[in-house]
This record gives sequence, structure tokens and C-alpha cells, in this order.
Amino acid sequence: MADATWLDRGGTHAGSRRAGWPAWLLLAPLLVWLGLFVLLPTILLVVTSFSHRDELGRVVYSFTTENYLRCFDPTWLSIFWNSILYALAATVICVIVGYPAAYTIGRAGPKSRRILLTLVMIPFWTSFLIRTYAWISILSQEGLANSLLLSAHIIPGPLSMMYTPFSIVLGLVYNYLPFMILPIYTSVEKLDNSLVEAAYDLGAGPLRAFSRVIIPLTQPGIAAGALLVFVPAIAMYAITTLMGGGSNPTIGEVIQNQFTRARNQPFGAALGVLLMLLFLVCFLVLGRKKNSSAPSA
Amino acid sequence: MKTIRNLILTLLPIALAACGGGSQPGPSASTPSSSEEKKLNLFCWSEYIPQNVIDGFTKETGIKVAVENYSSNEEMLSKLLAGGGKYDLIQPSEYTIQALIKADQLRLLDQNALSNFVHIAPEFRDMAYDLGNKFSVPYMAGFVGICINTDKVKTPVKGFVDVFTPAHKGRIVVLDDAREIVSWALEMEKLGLNSVNAENLKKIEPLLKKWLPLVKVYDSDSPKTSLKNGDVDLGVVWSGEAALLYQENKKFAFVLPSEGSHLFVDNLAIPKTSTHPQNAHLFINYILRPEVSKLISDAFPYYNPNLAARKLLSPEQLANPASYPPAEDITRMETFTDLGKESASVDELVTQIKAGGK
Repeated sequence: MADATWLDRGGTHAGSRRAGWPAWLLLAPLLVWLGLFVLLPTILLVVTSFSHRDELGRVVYSFTTENYLRCFDPTWLSIFWNSILYALAATVICVIVGYPAAYTIGRAGPKSRRILLTLVMIPFWTSFLIRTYAWISILSQEGLANSLLLSAHIIPGPLSMMYTPFSIVLGLVYNYLPFMILPIYTSVEKLDNSLVEAAYDLGAGPLRAFSRVIIPLTQPGIAAGALLVFVPAIAMYAITTLMGGGSNPTIGEVIQNQFTRARNQPFGAALGVLLMLLFLVCFLVLGRKKNSSAPSA
Repeated sequence: MKTIRNLILTLLPIALAACGGGSQPGPSASTPSSSEEKKLNLFCWSEYIPQNVIDGFTKETGIKVAVENYSSNEEMLSKLLAGGGKYDLIQPSEYTIQALIKADQLRLLDQNALSNFVHIAPEFRDMAYDLGNKFSVPYMAGFVGICINTDKVKTPVKGFVDVFTPAHKGRIVVLDDAREIVSWALEMEKLGLNSVNAENLKKIEPLLKKWLPLVKVYDSDSPKTSLKNGDVDLGVVWSGEAALLYQENKKFAFVLPSEGSHLFVDNLAIPKTSTHPQNAHLFINYILRPEVSKLISDAFPYYNPNLAARKLLSPEQLANPASYPPAEDITRMETFTDLGKESASVDELVTQIKAGGK
């Protein structure tokens, strides 16, 4: 409560006058950072996407729209679509696997909560590339998973798991799961237990209490987690290249290839700009949904 | 975060030292030096220059080598031309040397600084792409051929036609290299290795559309990995990779495709934008030493153009069919030439078919 009153007072004071130069000074590092690493690269990307290239692959700054026209070829559209599906599958699985984990952590006692949170973070201590290579040796035809399943006589012959859509989605889920668990955990932690008890008192069973009270109250965490998983998963290329073997290309892989071996930076830039627009639309849609659902809640 | 960084910083040198291992040749009688700062930015193929060779060079000269890898000539070109002078030494194949010379991107070599060039076999000197070796020195040569896991593939495989059959769908690894893939189709259609033009690309398009959907893995960095792990049973790969598999297990056979094969020669060259050209010369001359070149052959058994180094190899190494195929096969082989403008259409065709290959 004390916090809130302090905030209120601060709010009325600050609201009455414009931000002075000290505020701008404090903001300066952020503004410089945004300008150098967000605005400038974006401008470069957009300019490149409207340019030509020469025979060695250098960018020639003369205006053309052909790169964008090429983007709408069915080949690239289907890759876009596949990448969205992979990312969507990864997000859904992350919610299904991550929610119970986050809920358990959030409801655990303070001591075990700390231990459980550390366990979630431990994989981050090694590079994701090393962890991905570990998966390759687990999933390959003569790898750990197959030899275990074979020796236990669960499967008749080795399963082909590497270099398939399965291994791509698995790689994405494995790498992005913590990004789902942590935001859900934050909202579970804040969940007011008396509301859950009230639901029970009013006659709700566990399932009803969960679906009508707990889920809506932790929904901001789920939304944040979904965004944190879905957006980077669409554009991811390292995991998908390593675990997909290049025969199930994703849009991130295609863009990376355009900048390297295909030597077509303008086309890669055009695909990149379209990807950014896609994200922008996602954010706008999600934002509008939130606003429209706010009054009814 | 800081602790993680510190951890990485402490562990990295240990990990690097562990990779280094191996024997290191002692310093030669007269160790030349350079007046530049002790740094060299090396931009080379992945899995091509062993760490113990780089460590040996650093130990002898005190020059720290920063290594960055690429997995195709095209990737190297695009980074080099966009990079603004970061690299001191590059490792392009013959056709890329030709393109770089044409675009005036290479520095003239100082022949006096390369006393060990005498060890290079006569047939690898004065090659058409760089007469007089003004800009490039051969590093290793090799072939692209078919590697077969004979435990899994029982039918005879002699050429591309036997590799790319529906029976092998999902069991094939190929190099992730558009120029290579197109050249196989050109050989298959008997159109000639270097005859890339719009008309011929149209002709091979149906063939590639049949071939590429059969492929499971595209990998230029280490195509041997998926073969070794049993995820694929055969593939079209670099000869050195096949030679390593053969060393490990004789079940991996190597065949030069009956439709035709080509010789590739990878070279060391110095970009015009290099800021440490003297160090780069020192490195090239170091690599040319027979005992150093032998270390490279030990780690990556390609075809060694260094005659004196080849004399140091064991009979087993020389008998490896993927490293040293019959001489008459080699003399028959052509090499790639620069395609100029057409190279863009090669990249485009393969990227497109690969992407739509599902």
C-alpha cells in the first residue's frame, strides 16, 4: 500500500509538468542504443531490400521492387507457412509442458522454489549450440535414444528421428521452454489464493476452478510466454539447420542462406522486412485483443 | 551473467589447449619474422586446418591467429566483400581465385617470402586459374565423390544415377553447395562441368527436381557426421571426409562417380584489404613445410599437393582410396572455372528447388 501511495503522489507531480533535461539525460543511453542497434539496422535492411546485387554478390544501391515480388513466389510462401507451423507447434507444446511446471514452482515453498527455478535456468549455463549438438547424438540413428529403446525391445528397428520436422520442433521446445515457464511462474506467484478458495467455496470443482479462475488470472503470463517463444522460434535458423539437416528449410534458414552462400543480400533483406511486418501484425492483433477483452473482464 | 562470462573465459583456453594436443614441429633453422603486430585473421573452411598446426605457428612466431570458418566459397565471398578488410588470409578454391583475381581483390604474393613453395608438385603449379602462382598457393586438393555405407547399401553404386534413386529416399547426404550440386547434374546430362548457361540450367532443372527431394541432409561442414551416426547410408561428399570415415571403418567405400568427377584445388591467398600481409606470408610458408603439411594430411586426409609431405605419409595413408585414387582418374579430371554472372542463377536455381523440394 505504501508503494501505491508513493506512486500516486509521484504521478500527480510528474504529470503536471513536462519531462526536464535530467529525464532526457537518463534516457540518452537507451535512445542511443535504440538508434544504433534498432533504428539504423532497420533502415539499412529496408534500403538493401530495394537494391540490386552484382555478380560477386555485392549490394548495388539502385532502386528495384523485384526482391519483394520474388517473395510472393509459392516456394517462399510455403516456407513461411511451414516456419509458422513449426513455431506454433513449439509454442503449444511449451504451454502444455511449461504450465504445470510453472504452476508447481509458483506454488512450492520458498526454499524448493529457489531450487526449482535454478534447475530451469541451468541449461542456460551452456551455449545452446552445444546443447543442440547433444541432442544430435541422442536422436541419431545409432544414438542414445535408439539404442536404449532397442535394447529394451520397445521398438523393432531404429527410429529415424534426426533431420525430421519432429527433431526441429523438439529442438525449438527444448531451447525455448524456459521462456514459457518464467513468465507463467511470475503470474502464478502473484495469484491470490483466496480467489481460488472462494471458487471452491462457491461450489466449483478442481477442473472448474482451474479453467474459470486460475487460467484467466494467469493468462497474462501465458500470453507473454507465448510471444517470447513464438516470435524467436519463427526466425530461428541455427537449431533448425542443425536438427533439420537443411531438407526442411525454415524462413530463418532461407534468409541466412541469402546473406551467405546464395549471395543475394537484397532478397534476404526483403524476406527479413516481410518477417518484421508479420511480427508487427502479430503484436497489433494481440494488443487489440487485449484492449477489446478488457472491458468485458 | 558475469559469473557465466568468467566461467567461459576460464574454460575457453583449457578447451582450446585440449584441442591443440598433438605433436608440433620445432622451429626451423632460420625463423623469419615480420614487423607487423603479432596478429593474423584467418578465414578458412571448416574442418580443414588442424588446431595443432595453428598452435605450432603461434608458438614459433608469437603471432596470434584468429580463425573464422566458412562452408562454401560463396559464403566466403559474401563475407569478404562485405567485411571491410577484416581478413588477412583466405582459402578459396580454384574458380573463386579466378573470380577474385578478376575483381582485383587479391594481393600479389611476395615469392621471396615463400621459400617452401618448391615442395609443391609440378602439376599443381601454374594452374590455369592463376598462372605463375602470382596470387595463390595450393593448400590441399580433392575430389567430390560418393561415400557408401556398404553395411546398409547392398546394391552396387557406381555413379550419381545409382545414388539418386527412389530406393535411397531419405538416406542421402549431399554437400550444401549449389555449384557442386549443379555440376553433378551437368555431368549426368553430359553437358560439361563448366557449361553453365540459362539453356543448360533449364535442361537440368527436371533432374534436380527429381534428385533433391530424395536428400535427407545438406551439409558441407561435416557430411561425415550423419553417415557416421547412421542417419544416412550414402552421400556425395568431399573426398577428405570419406577418407576419414574409411580410416575409422572400412565399411565406408569411396567411389568416383562414373558420370565424371572434378578436381578441386583449395588455395591460400591474401585479400587486398589484409592488414597483416607479412604475417600471412609467414603462415603460408609455414603451411608449405613438409612436416607441417603432413600434420594437415594426418588430420584431414585430402590429396596433398606437397610432394615432400607426401613422402612422409604412411603406406596406409597413401593407400586410402578416397585420399589418393588412381592417378589416371585424376589426370582425366577437369576443374571448375569462374562462372561470372551465371553464378547467381546457379545459387538461385538450387535454393529454389531445395526450398520447394518437399
